Amino acid sequence: MSKWYEMQGESSDVVFASRVRLSRNMDKYLFSKKMTDSDAVQLVEEVLYTFKDYSEEAQTYQRCNLSELNEIEKLSMVERQILTKDLATKKQCSGLVVSEDESSSVMINGEDHLKIQSLVGGMDMKQAIQKVNSMDDYASELLGISFSEKYGYLTSSPADAGTGMKASYLLFLPALAGAGKMKRLAEEVTKYGVTLQGLYTEGTESNGNLFQISNQKTMGMTEEDIINNLDNIALQVVKQERKRREYVLANNYDEIEDQVYRSYGVLKYAKQINSKDALTLLSQVKFGADTDIIGFQIPFNIYNAMIVCQPYSLQCQKGKYVGSKVRDKLRAEYLNHTLPELET
Amino acid sequence: MLCDKCKKRQAIIYYTEIINGIKKEQHLCEECAAKYADFELGLSKANKELSLGGLLSSILGNYSASNPTVKEDELEAVIQCERCGMTYDAFLQGGKFGCAECYTSFGKQLEKSFRQIHGATSHIGKRPKGFVSQTDKIINDLSEIDRLSIRLQDAIEKEEFDQAVCLRDQIRALKAKEESHNV
Repeated sequence: MSKWYEMQGESSDVVFASRVRLSRNMDKYLFSKKMTDSDAVQLVEEVLYTFKDYSEEAQTYQRCNLSELNEIEKLSMVERQILTKDLATKKQCSGLVVSEDESSSVMINGEDHLKIQSLVGGMDMKQAIQKVNSMDDYASELLGISFSEKYGYLTSSPADAGTGMKASYLLFLPALAGAGKMKRLAEEVTKYGVTLQGLYTEGTESNGNLFQISNQKTMGMTEEDIINNLDNIALQVVKQERKRREYVLANNYDEIEDQVYRSYGVLKYAKQINSKDALTLLSQVKFGADTDIIGFQIPFNIYNAMIVCQPYSLQCQKGKYVGSKVRDKLRAEYLNHTLPELET
Repeated sequence: MLCDKCKKRQAIIYYTEIINGIKKEQHLCEECAAKYADFELGLSKANKELSLGGLLSSILGNYSASNPTVKEDELEAVIQCERCGMTYDAFLQGGKFGCAECYTSFGKQLEKSFRQIHGATSHIGKRPKGFVSQTDKIINDLSEIDRLSIRLQDAIEKEEFDQAVCLRDQIRALKAKEESHNV
């Protein structure tokens, strides 16, 4: 079965994915800050057991105790967005339930007892919400979720209380980032209760021009209103990005065309390449493909390649731990092979 | 003005703090301030500039440690969660609750925090499947006629008149039935 990031979604020239995360806690256990090691083990076992009969869209769900996985496997899951970094490096017992296509998952014993997540390729928050709600309803029925009439879902951090929902769009913004507009844009969107930050790095500096835009507030608004607000802002950003692309192409076509072909050449024929360079070059090739500067002989999903090129995902595919020199060679080898020939 | 500590160098940092109405002032020179505040980063040989924020927070830490009376007073008024033992102070410092009960234990103090973070103090979104609210519980305990009357009132307020007519007829029918029983 294809993973969510291998599929092409709506508005995929700018929107990489739509993601929803719900923070939930169980009445039975203390929150993460006060959680004992033995309770952690019990919590993970209970949630894993509860989800053994869960199914949706006829998919099978993998259930695993994260302490049984090695570091590379866990960190590659962080790169694939199905695990948060906190959870991957947590010492206490933690767990994960994940669907075959990796679009639905439940992280167990992170900052909150459960973080229920759904990820859908492209701009499709409706489907993401539907998926996450289905898991949430299942958990609510069987696990005794902490909820107060006044404060809503009770979370470990007051910043998540209320709906406990963080909705995000993962965005590809090469033109805006190239014009040095990200910092100002990030400042501007905070006025509307939305945060914009780099996906693979902290802050507004980002590798591969990938960013995420998410709601900040979780209380005093319904889930619908939160999404509507986020949608409005995200659509504005998408519009600005497309406008900027047109502008750049109209003014600097020759330069950009050259850059796109050069990037393609390096990715296709380089013998070693580090992940930052790979992401930057892939981002340029994607820009070229989206704006019809170049065309591939067979369909090629660059987002997928961006994920596979991440250091831990690469090692995971090879099934062994390797140093950065070898990784750079493996990455180049993968890209040489995967990048399709160009249309003439 | 000379430094309060070494009484030799010129004081360049004036620090005033008022706790429980007791005012305490400090006038320090750069070197003593650095020493006093256990300041490690700001006054290295290469960098002679002090960061005021870092300095203040370390001074605050030292100040309350050197004033045990102030600390004891605070302890008496400490708000603590009965279930997990989390104190309100610890919550403020770490920014994380210890358990679901903390929300009730810190009740009043929280309103301000929530207003600051979210601009709101109550939830209006989704409820867990099968959740019965306090008001729903009260309504459920009422007789059928009272329940329908509340819904009738609600329908009138929302100007859903078709619904209201239907509810009124139901109430009339129930009342008539009750009366015939009583007779």
